[in-house]
Amino acid sequence: MAADTAPRTLRVSSGVADLAEVRRFVRESVAAFGGSARVADDLVQAVDEATCNVLLHGYGYGDEPGEVEIEATLRGRRIEIRLLDRGVPFDPTAAPAADTTRPPVATRPGGMGMGIHLLRTMTDEVRHHVRPGGGNELTLVRSIDDPAKED
Amino acid sequence: MALTIDVDHLGGSPSITVVALDGELDASNYERVIDVVRSAYAQGARGLVIDMAKLTFMASSGLFALHSALRIMRGETPPDPEMGWSALHQVAQDHDSSAATVRLAAAQEAIARVLERTGMTSLFGVDATREDAVAALRGA
Repeated sequence: MAADTAPRTLRVSSGVADLAEVRRFVRESVAAFGGSARVADDLVQAVDEATCNVLLHGYGYGDEPGEVEIEATLRGRRIEIRLLDRGVPFDPTAAPAADTTRPPVATRPGGMGMGIHLLRTMTDEVRHHVRPGGGNELTLVRSIDDPAKED
Repeated sequence: MALTIDVDHLGGSPSITVVALDGELDASNYERVIDVVRSAYAQGARGLVIDMAKLTFMASSGLFALHSALRIMRGETPPDPEMGWSALHQVAQDHDSSAATVRLAAAQEAIARVLERTGMTSLFGVDATREDAVAALRGA
């Protein structure tokens, strides 16, 4: 389906200090598409978790963070947010999520699987592809009409 | 938006510290929250209130910080050696780890949703206001 709006794009490359800018970009995009604050809350959470994964782990521990390109588009009544990177292939749709019925045990952020769990529960659909030439294309989809998505 | 952390040592028995978070808690600043809690425990705090009234966003790294705070207050996590590990170990042994020592106060709707969806509310006392949380720790 063709996009109903021109895609909005943001590139970040400085690491976790960029996350505030990413969240602002997502919130502004959802507002520009006519989405509610609740839809924005869910997508901000999901995109923060996904971007953080790439910035912290996608380009290897201790290395300079690589670039992440984020593209927000409204297609029909669905908001799609696509993250493109050239990091290590990682598919969050296949990664183990947190068992939230048990107390978490973790010695580092990410060790609880909470980020993956939030990324999945705050969206309607998550798609992952390995890009030609390396890196990831991760697409997070959320209905713009669903004001109160529940688990 | 950055994160501002305001620490208020109330003292009393048990000694209570209130940590108020203002802004966004994410992967760029969660370690500061852990450091503040570690420091409060080292100074004798045995009850902790995390006041979330002005917290507008919390990532999963923030959940990790909360979980770390719980472990620190239970005396489970080896504290930063620079804080004086042996002194800390001694007080940790006197501590009743079964008591609910960390309470989360005044979480906004989006934050409360994240806490609920991740099952974290079962680990903490949850209160509508900072005052309610302090009263609960005092056993009032």
